[in-house]
Order: sequence, then C-alpha cells, then structure tokens
Amino acid sequence: MKRTAMMAIFSLGIAVYCLVPYLWFALTSWKSPAELTAIPPQLIPSFHWDFYRSALEERGLLRYIANSIIVAGAATGITIAIGAVAAYALARFQLPWTNAYLLLLLAISMFPQIAIAGPVWSLLNHLDWLNTYRGLVAAYIALSLPLATLILTTFFREVPHEIEEAALIDGCSRFQAFYKIVLPISAPGIFTAALLVFIYTWNEFFFALIVLTDPNLQTLPVGIALFPGEYTMPWGEIAAASTLATLPLIALTLLFQRGIVRGLAAGAVKG
Amino acid sequence: MRSSHRLALLFLLPSLIFVSLFAFYPIFESFRLSFYRSILTLPWLGQKMVGWENYTDLWTDPVAAESLRTTLFFVVTTIPLELSFGLGMALVMNEVFRGRGLLRAVILIPWAIPTVVSSQMWRFIFNDRYGLFNFLLFGGDASRYLAPLADPTLAPLAIIVAEVWKTAPFVALIVLAGLQSIPDEVYEAASIDGATSWQQFRYVTLPLLRPALLLALLFRTIDALRVFDLVYVMTQGGPADATNVLSFYGYKKIFAEGMVGYGSAIAVGVFLISLILSLVYLRILKSSRLEGIPR
Amino acid sequence: MNSLVVKAGRCHARNLCRLTALIFLCSLGHSFAAETQLRFVTWKSETAQLWDQPIADFEKQNPGVKVIREIGPQSSTQLHDLITQKLKNRDTEMDVFVMDVIWPAEFASAGWALPLDRFFALAEQKQFLDAPIQANRYRGQIFGVPLFVDAGLLYYRKDLLEKYGVPPPRTWPELVEEAKTILAQEKDPQLVGFSGQFKQYEGLVCNMMEFVLSNGGNLWNEKQLVSTLNQPRALEAVRFVRDRIIGQIAHRGVLAYEEPESLVLFTEGRAIFHRNWPYAWNVANDSQRSKIAGKIGMMPLPYFPGGKGVAALGGWQLAISRFSKKSELAWRFVAFMTGHAMQKRITLSTGRAPARAALYNDREVLDQLPQLKSLWETFKQAVPRPTTPVYVPLSNIMQRYFSSVLALPDTNIDKRAALAARDMDRVLDLVREAPAP
Repeated sequence: MKRTAMMAIFSLGIAVYCLVPYLWFALTSWKSPAELTAIPPQLIPSFHWDFYRSALEERGLLRYIANSIIVAGAATGITIAIGAVAAYALARFQLPWTNAYLLLLLAISMFPQIAIAGPVWSLLNHLDWLNTYRGLVAAYIALSLPLATLILTTFFREVPHEIEEAALIDGCSRFQAFYKIVLPISAPGIFTAALLVFIYTWNEFFFALIVLTDPNLQTLPVGIALFPGEYTMPWGEIAAASTLATLPLIALTLLFQRGIVRGLAAGAVKG
Repeated sequence: MRSSHRLALLFLLPSLIFVSLFAFYPIFESFRLSFYRSILTLPWLGQKMVGWENYTDLWTDPVAAESLRTTLFFVVTTIPLELSFGLGMALVMNEVFRGRGLLRAVILIPWAIPTVVSSQMWRFIFNDRYGLFNFLLFGGDASRYLAPLADPTLAPLAIIVAEVWKTAPFVALIVLAGLQSIPDEVYEAASIDGATSWQQFRYVTLPLLRPALLLALLFRTIDALRVFDLVYVMTQGGPADATNVLSFYGYKKIFAEGMVGYGSAIAVGVFLISLILSLVYLRILKSSRLEGIPR
Repeated sequence: MNSLVVKAGRCHARNLCRLTALIFLCSLGHSFAAETQLRFVTWKSETAQLWDQPIADFEKQNPGVKVIREIGPQSSTQLHDLITQKLKNRDTEMDVFVMDVIWPAEFASAGWALPLDRFFALAEQKQFLDAPIQANRYRGQIFGVPLFVDAGLLYYRKDLLEKYGVPPPRTWPELVEEAKTILAQEKDPQLVGFSGQFKQYEGLVCNMMEFVLSNGGNLWNEKQLVSTLNQPRALEAVRFVRDRIIGQIAHRGVLAYEEPESLVLFTEGRAIFHRNWPYAWNVANDSQRSKIAGKIGMMPLPYFPGGKGVAALGGWQLAISRFSKKSELAWRFVAFMTGHAMQKRITLSTGRAPARAALYNDREVLDQLPQLKSLWETFKQAVPRPTTPVYVPLSNIMQRYFSSVLALPDTNIDKRAALAARDMDRVLDLVREAPAP
C-alpha cells in the first residue's frame, strides 16, 4: 500500500517535471497578445488562434515542416539502408578490424560540429550542393552513420546464425540471406535505429543553419530559431510554431514508446 | 576467405564513401586549417602556414581558458544531475503499475522536442517580466522578479536546467533498459540472503547497471562538451561571457569573425578533450565487463 | 455502334489528357520565362509601408520583375551571420541586401559587396548625409547606398517630467537625479528610471560608446590604429554606468535586453527614460502598440559635464551582392528605394529618419515629423563605430569588456580595460599592413 502511494507520488513528480514546462509554453500559444505580456503571467489562456494564424501565414511554418520532413525522411532512409548493410558486414564477416572500425566511428562522432561545418560547407560548395536538399541530406547521412552503424551492428550480432547458415547452404547468396532473413528478425532494432536517426536529423540545427540559407528550403529548427521580430520578441508565434512542430514528434513517440524502449534495451545493454 | 572479405568491403563501401567524404575529410581539413592563419575578411593576408601559433595563442588566450572552465563546469554539473534524475526515473518506471506505458511515453516528450524549441521555451520561462519561473517564485510581486539570463551567475544555471530537463529522460531510458535486463532471480537470491531494499540497490542493482550507466555517461559527456544550440538561442554566450562555451566561442571565431584557422584550433581542442575522456570511460567500461555478473 | 462510341470516348479522353498536359506545361513555362526575380534580403518590418508598399510600386513600374523578399532575424548580429553565410556560400540567389552601418568595410574587404561607383556618382552621393556616406566608403570606393539614418536618442515620459516639474535632463548625472526623484515620488514598484540595451551584443557597443564619447573619451584612435578604451575618460564613463545606472535606476534585467525588450518596457509605461533609435518614436506613439502614446518626448542624448552629446551612428544601407547575376536590375531597385520620392514616402509613413539631406528641409516631412528639424544636428554629428574590415572581432572584444564590467560589479575596470585594449591592438595590427588600394 505504502509502496503504491510512493510510486504514485514519484510518477506524478516525473510527469510534472516532463510536462509542465512544455504545457506552459503550449498554453502560451493560445493567449491573446494582451495576455501574453500580462504581469503577473496568466496561467490559463482564453483560446485565441491569432498566433497560430500569424505563424502559419506570415512565417511560412508549413513550409519549414515540409522541408524538415523531406530532409529528415531522406536522411533516415538512406542512413538505415547504408548502415544496415555495413553493420551486417561488420557483424557477420569476422573481420579482424571490426572493433577498431567501430571505435573509429565513435571517435568521428565526437568531433565538434562547428569545426567540420566549415570544411563540409566548402566541400558542398565544390559539389555545388549548397542550398539544396541533397547537400544537407548528405551531411546528415555522414553525421548519423556512426550511431546507426553501432546500434545496428549490435543488433545483428544478436541474431542467431543457424537460420542464415541453413539458407546459405540452400543456395542463398549472402545478400539474400541478409535481406530475407536477418532484416525481418531485427526489425525492432532497425526501427529503433531509424527513429533515433529521424529524431536527430529532425532536431539538427547547426548544419541546417549554414547549408540552407534559402528560406524556401530551410528546416524547422532554423525557422524557429530565426523567427524575426522588429519591435517585439514574437513569443506568441514562437510558442505556436513550437507547439505545432512538436506535436507530430510527440504523437510518434507516444505511439512507438514500447518499441523505443525495447530497442534501446537490446542495444544499450549488449552494446 | 578472401572472397568473403571482398564481399564485406562491398557491403561497407557506401558507408565508407560517405564517412570518408563528410567525416574523415572535414576532420582532416579542420586539423589542417588549425595550422594556418586564415581570415576571411582580410583575403590579402593570404593563407599562411603558421605551425603551432594558433595553438600557442589558444593556450595563452584568457577567453579560451574561461571558455574551457565554463564548458567543464557545464559538463561536470549536468552529467551527475542527468544521471541521478535518470536513474530515479528509471527505477520508478521499472516498477509494474497501471499507467506505466503512459508514463514512459510522457518522459520521452522532453527528449523528442527539438533543442531549439526547448531553448526558446526555457528562455520564455526565465523571462524577467512574463516568465513562469518568476511567477512561481514571487507570484505577482514583480518588483522582486529576477532576470536569470542577465545574471552571470544564474545564466549558466539556466542553461544547465534546460539541458538536464531534456536529457535526463534519455538517460532514464538507457538505464531502464539496463534495469530490465537484470534477471529477477538475482534479486530473489539477495532477498533470501536477507538483504534490505537499500542493500539490494547498492550491491546488486548498481554494479549490474554499470555498463548502462557508463554508456550513458559516455554519450552524454561527448554531447555536453559540444553543446551549442542552447547557448545560441538562449544567451548568445553572455552575459559577460558567462555562457561562452567552447563550441560557441569557436562558432564566433569561424562564422562571425571569419578567423577560420583559430576557430579550427578551438574545435580540435574540444575533440582532443572528448577523445581523452572517452578513452578513460571505455577503459572503465571494458574492465567492468570483464568482472562479469557477480554471484 | 457501341464500340464506335467507346472508341470515340477513349479518343476524346486521350485528347483531353493531352490538352491538360499541354496547358500545364505552358503554365509552367509561362511562370518561368516571363518573370525575372530579384532577391532582396532584409529584416521584417511591422509596418507594411517600409518594404511591402515600395516593393509593390517598383514591381508596378517594372512589369515582369518580381521582388522576392527574404526575411532574416531582427538582431543585427544574427542577421550579419546569416548574410555573410550566404555570401560565403557565393549564393547567387541573393541580389540586394541590407547592410548595417558597420558592415561596409568588412564586406568590401572580403569581396562580398559590389563596388557601386559606376552607378552611384559622387554628385549623387553628396545628396545624402555625410556620415552614412563615409561609412559606406572603403579605400576610395563606395559599397552601399544609405536608406535611412539611425542615431541614438533619448526618449522620456513628458507627462511624468511635467507632473514633477522636472526639465528634460542635459547631463547624465542630471538624468540620474531626476529619475531618482520621480521614482521616489511615484511609488510605483514596476516603474524604473532607465531602459537601454546592455546585453552582450552589438547594441551594447552603441550604448556604451555614447557614454564614453560624451565624456570626451573614445573607443579607438583611428590614425594610429590603437585602442583608447583604457584612457581615463573612457574608464570614468564606464564606471558611471556601472555604479549609477545599472542596478540603480535601471534594473539588472537590462543586461539581457536588446532593442525589442527595452522598448516594450518603455511602451508598457514602466520606464521614465529610454535610449533607442528613431524608429521607437512611431512605435511608442502608436496607441495600438503602446500604452503611452502621446505622452513622450524625444531629445538628443545627455552628456557628461565638460563633454558634449554624442549619438552612435546607426542606419541601414542597400548593397548589391558581388555574386548576383542581375546587377543592373539590382541597381535599378536600389536606386528606386533610395530615390528622393521613395525616401520621403518611407519617412512619412514610418517615422524613420531619411538619409537624404534635402528631406530635412522638406515642408511636408517637417509638418509630420517636426522633431526631425531639431535632430538634424544630432544626425549630422552622429559618430560611427570603427570603420575597419576587422570591426567584428573588435566589437566582440568590446562587448566582452563592457558586459563583464557591467554585469560583475566587483571587477577591476582598469585591469579589464587594459586587457581589452591589448586585444584590440593585436587585431588592429592585422590591418596595419593593408596593401594600398
């Protein structure tokens, strides 16, 4: 009995910790401009949609969201495709330098983005890929590959060899064994890796800032960070844009929370 | 054997191409540029190879030293907070009770929100006129309102709060995964042996959690050393350089001032620090694995 | 019979499809071929009269041309980083852009802005105020056309000053005393004496420069290319701000304020004195946006005894990107926006101070904005920040120094100033050996 009560209190505490800051901001988006600057601040807004209208119409929020979907989606898809193939090789082919390679990947992911941003930018410049979707997607693939490869390698290592051996003996090529057997079994792991990569590329700010300077192509984080305002800090619009931007993500995580946890479980502990 | 190696390389090829072009090459370029004097707004100076000069300047640069202190303070404060909050959350979520799924979903929310969004959110919460922070502390008494982002002592703390809020859930997930992989029998055996809840936690749970905790520690340390988005949105390095972390200082040098050589040296510095810390962690991680599961 | 009908139907449908496709393709071709796009990067204005109306007029006068306006951040610092990133990207998608008054030297030296001498003759340059023109010149060439001029001004609550029989202050010490008097008698806990911009950003240099120069000090010695931050008069001014203003008549929150936040404090009626650019006049007098409309006065900034009032020169100019493929058309747009008629229109509708000298004697303009007559001297004498390609590093050093000294009351001002001066000198050494133009 006491334990249940304690659990309830802690759970409530956790829920408050996670939700209150976000709810406060979300509620702000529904205030009227006068309520926004009221001192002391009002907790419950009257439900005005002014800020949403302003954010959508005047700031082009939908375009930012569309761009983010394109960039994050493409980056995730390609990263998982390339990473899964690489991870399979690392997990199965008993190469002597596997661990060294994985460590190297880890080392690469440690480099501060601000430094490689410059050379990446000049590389994209040479390729004439600046201010294009493919330029940013290429950069994102390179940034996410280390993490994706690490996670996927761990998962693939857990898949028992027997089924594959049987298929190989039956005449399957390595690639077919990979494609038809290992992939379906590791679906949870692949899914986890995909979700992690998607969230990372969706949230990424710095490269998006310097690679995409054309507002038609800019992604959501850049759009929100650069919300202009000549006379006042447009808190209302920022709150509205932020709420809109995060609702899809929240929906995704709510739907797939079990998968995420299970995926991380297998990866984190074994890895 | 060799044919399988060739096949392996084929599988790895796309990966290698991307990683070489967009990771190896830029890192190498960054290293190379750190040995040059390169100032974009003074093109007539040319790109002169200056050897270690950028590094010696960095070594004697009081702003860089301050920046290093700020960054390390940030790391040393956020990591324990994230770990303890994360551990606490994970322990609660490990219990079986109704609504557990919902709670798990809720704690993912801070993590799912883009950093630039949560930065703006916290900036608004800490606003000196309309923020929730002041309202909770002082109610309607506006004369006592604080301005955390204008105070060199409070501003770093505000950034830390924003960071921990977002990353503790991520740590909680990793730890939860670790908790769930501990077989029940271990706890049963400990109970039979007469261990209290606290003793079970200290002598069974914690040691078995070590790999998960160290992994969380590793990822979080690397990320904390590179923190940028929060500072860019919330404080732009101020006030009085109180939140001028190394990544932001490097950004200012490279992108605002056009001093590419010096900025690259700063980045290499951050990388070396991450590398050293990671090697230390991996050492500890490996040795803890070798210990095996205590019986 | 049926099969014929069916065949005819199918044939009809196919033709319809072909027709639709043709129309679609034509419409695509039409939108691509007939229209030339000119890309213009600037910050968003809350008044449609500032950009939207003039752009619409330009498009009307130049059929077939569409000006695409790209919106950047309001903060000059962030806008600078955005625009320079485009220029570093050799972005051909940017033709015309706004330049803050401190950028021309940097952009000229880096080869980002197009020299405008072949378009912008000396005779025409003389039509503009001298200070902004000088700020746009670098090594004998001109790189921008001034659109409007900004200079730091003091705004005050006329109603409060009248209520307590206090005249508009002439010197900074007077301002402090008057603020204290009014605060003591108003007994409003939400009222502060002074609202300015003291966040660690570019605006901080403007605010502090006004204090330093009005005490007879300076930020640098242009001829010798050395910093003068550690000279006694400069130190004195900084000490005054730290000890008598921040935390005294201005609450410490101003250390995180840029223009928007500091202006809101004033327009909400919570500040007696306010330092800002000329645009604040219209905003504060707009009853829809301000609670103090009609109750404010505007005057040149105070000075220290023995010195004279100094306003930091601000303002925005139009420049053409060196990588633009449409420089002729871009110039037509720039000339249009900065022409006499358009500048007059913008001045009348937004209250921003024009860069063309003739408008300060224009009857229509003076009828609506009588204060421009009294501000003429202020604008003529506005002082620019150091004009050098390395201004950004210099500014960062100064921002660091000012912010540290103001936000940490226990710091040793002399020591910090000496360090800042040393750092500035090192940066200035880089331009000492600049090649002859």
